[in-house]
Amino acid sequence: MTTITKMEGKPAQSGRMLAAIVTFLLIFIVLMAIGLMNAPTMGGPKVMASAATYLAEVQRTALPFMGAVAILAIVLGLVYARAVYRVWPNHRRRQNMIMGYLFLSPYLLITLTFTVGVILFAFYISFTNYDIFTSPQWTGLSNYAKAFRGFSDPTQKDFIQSLYNVFWYSFIVVTVQTSLAILLAVLLNTPMKAKQFFRTIFYAPSVTSSVVITLIFMWLYLKTGFINFFLAKFFAVLGMHWQNINWLNDPRGLIQLIVTPFGVHIPSAQWYLKGPSITWMAVMFQNIFTTVPTFMLMFLAALQDVNPALYEAAAIDGANGWQQFRKITLPLLRPIILLVVVLGTIGTFQTFDQVYLATKGGPLGTSLTPAYIIFREALGYQGPIQMGYAAAMAFILAVLIFIFSYIQRRYISNETQLY
Amino acid sequence: MAVKTETLKQVGTQPRQKPLSYTVGKILRYVLLIAIGLILIMPFILTAIGTFKTDAEITAFPPKFLPGIWHVENWVKVWTTDIGQGGTFPRWLFNTAFLAVTIATLEVIFCSMAAYAFARIEFPGRDAVFAFMLGTLMIPSAVTIIPAYVLMTKLHLINTFWSLIIPGAVNAGSIFILTQFFKAIPKDLEEAAVIDGATNMEIYRNVILPLARPALLTVFILQFQAAWNNFMQPLLYLNTPNKYVLNVALSIFQQQFKAQWNLTLVGAMVNAIPILILFFIFSKYFQEGVAYTGIKG
Repeated sequence: MTTITKMEGKPAQSGRMLAAIVTFLLIFIVLMAIGLMNAPTMGGPKVMASAATYLAEVQRTALPFMGAVAILAIVLGLVYARAVYRVWPNHRRRQNMIMGYLFLSPYLLITLTFTVGVILFAFYISFTNYDIFTSPQWTGLSNYAKAFRGFSDPTQKDFIQSLYNVFWYSFIVVTVQTSLAILLAVLLNTPMKAKQFFRTIFYAPSVTSSVVITLIFMWLYLKTGFINFFLAKFFAVLGMHWQNINWLNDPRGLIQLIVTPFGVHIPSAQWYLKGPSITWMAVMFQNIFTTVPTFMLMFLAALQDVNPALYEAAAIDGANGWQQFRKITLPLLRPIILLVVVLGTIGTFQTFDQVYLATKGGPLGTSLTPAYIIFREALGYQGPIQMGYAAAMAFILAVLIFIFSYIQRRYISNETQLY
Repeated sequence: MAVKTETLKQVGTQPRQKPLSYTVGKILRYVLLIAIGLILIMPFILTAIGTFKTDAEITAFPPKFLPGIWHVENWVKVWTTDIGQGGTFPRWLFNTAFLAVTIATLEVIFCSMAAYAFARIEFPGRDAVFAFMLGTLMIPSAVTIIPAYVLMTKLHLINTFWSLIIPGAVNAGSIFILTQFFKAIPKDLEEAAVIDGATNMEIYRNVILPLARPALLTVFILQFQAAWNNFMQPLLYLNTPNKYVLNVALSIFQQQFKAQWNLTLVGAMVNAIPILILFFIFSKYFQEGVAYTGIKG
C-alpha cells in the first residue's frame, strides 16, 4: 500500500502498469502468507521450532493445499490488478480505491486469516485423519461416513442422537420463545406509565452470561431445589402429591412418559422413539427463559413502527382485539418473525454452554448436541483427538443450519423481503 | 377528518361503559406484567439470597427462602479463594474487564472504519466485499473454532489474550449495523468539508464519527457484553488459572466446590453484578442494540 501511495505525484500513465503489478504481488503475498499459516501440517515443538522446519513440513504434507491457495491468490490478484490498472489514470477514483481498501484493511486481514483461511483448513482436514501431532493422511469421505454410521451401528449413535436432540430442541424452543416473545411485546406495547420500567426489568436477566444462568439453574434444578419445591407447593394446592425429580439427570423421554401409563414399553434400542428427555426439556426451559426477553425487544421495536391509525380504523370497523392481532399485528411483524425464527434456529442448533456445564451430554446421551461432540472429539475428551472427524461434523452442522434457514426463509417470507 | 369525528362520536356515545372495562383491563394487565417480571427475576433473587446461606441450608429440602444467619463471610471466602498459579477472583474479574474493554474498543475503531468505506467511498469491488461480509455472518462458530484453535497454537498465541483480542477486533454484524447508520447520515453535512478539500480521513474523523456517537456507543455496549459473556473461546484458548476469565473460572470453580453451592453462587453473582450495573446505567443502549440487530440485521 505504501508503495502505491508514493506513486501519486508521478504522471499517471507511467505508474499505471507498475501499480497493477504491485497490487498483484501484494495480494498474492498476503494470501499466500495466510495460506501458509493455515496449512494443514502437524504441530508440535519439533515442527514449530523455526520458520525453516515449518516450511519443510508444509512442503512435505501441504503442497496440494498450498496449490489451491495459490490458484485463489492468482485469480484475486489478477482481478484487482486489472481494477487498479483501470482506475489509476483518474486521480479521484484512484484515491478512493486506495482509501477504501485502507479503511477495510483491518477487517479484511483479520477475516481472511481467522475466518476464510481457517475454513479452508477445516474443509481440507475434514477429508483427512488430522490429529495435530501427525501429518494428515488423506482418507476421502470416511469422516463424513463415520458421522452417520450410527444408522447401522447402534453403539456409535452419538452424532445421530445429537442431531435428533437438536431437532427437538430447535422445534420446541423456537416455537415457544417466538410465541411468548410476541405475546409479551404486544402486552407491553400499550400506552402505560411504567412501560420503560417493565422493559428494563424483563430484559435484565438476559444480559448476564449463559454460564451464570446455567449455574443458577443447575442449583434450582437440584432434587432438593426450588423448582421441585414450587411444583410440590403447586400440586399440594390441587391436592396432589409431587414426586421430586432429579431434573438434570433423568433420561425418561416425553413420548415415553405419555405412552407408559397405557402399558406401552419402549425398549432402549429404540431410543429415537422416546422423544426429548426430561433433562433435555429442563435445558430447553432454561434457554427459553433467557431468550424470550431479547426477542421481545426486537418485536417491541417493530411494533413501535406500526401506524396506530391502522388499529383505530380496524376498531371503527368493529374488529375486536384478537382480530386486530391476527389481521394487523401478525402480518406486519412477519419480517421480524422470520428473523427471530432464523436467529433462533441458528442459535439452538449450536447449543454448547449449557450442555458443557450442566449435563456433559448425559443422561444416556439425551442432551448431546453436535457442537458439544465436535468440541469433545477435537480435544480428545473421550478417546483420541480426531480433528478431521470434528471438522467433518462441523460442516454437516453448517449445511443443516443453512438448509433450515433457507426453508424458513422460503415459507415465512412469501410476500415480505428481509433485505 | 371523517374518521376522527366518528371516533369522537363513538367515545361520546358510551361514556359509562368504557371507563369500567378499561380500568379492569388496565389492572389485569399490570398484575400480569408484575407476575411475569417476578418470574423472570426470581432466579436472581433466590441466588442473591442463597449466597448468604450455609452449605447445609442451600441444599436442604424443603428450601427456606431466607438464611437463618446471613453469612457475609461466604463472599469474603470466595473473593480471597486462591486456586493456585495466580488464580483468584480479583484477577479473573480484571482479566474479563480488560478483555471486554479492549475488544469492544478495537471493534468500534475497526468496524467504523470499514463501515465508512462501505457507506461513503465508491471503489471497485465494494459491493462484492460487502456481500462476502454478509455471507460470513451465516457461518456457525462450530466450523471455525476448532481450526482457529490449531492456528492459535501455530502462532504461539494459546494462553495469551491476543488469541481473543485479534479475532475479536472485527465483527461483521457490527460493521453491518454501522454501515446502515452511516448511510442514513445526510450527505450534505459533509459537502462543505468536501468543497474545502477534506480527505476521506478528515471526513471520517471530523464529520461522521461525531454524528454517529450513539451508534458507536451501542456497538461498544453490545460487543462489551458479548466479550464479557464469551465462554467457548476462552475455554479453548486460555489454560492457566492466572489467564482465566470469569466464565471459565466459574466452570472450574463449580467442579471444585461441587457440594458448596453457596460459594458457586457467590461466584456467579460476582460475574453477573458488573454487567447488571452496566445494564442499568446504559439500559437504553443495550435495548437499542437488540432492536438494531432486529430491524436492520
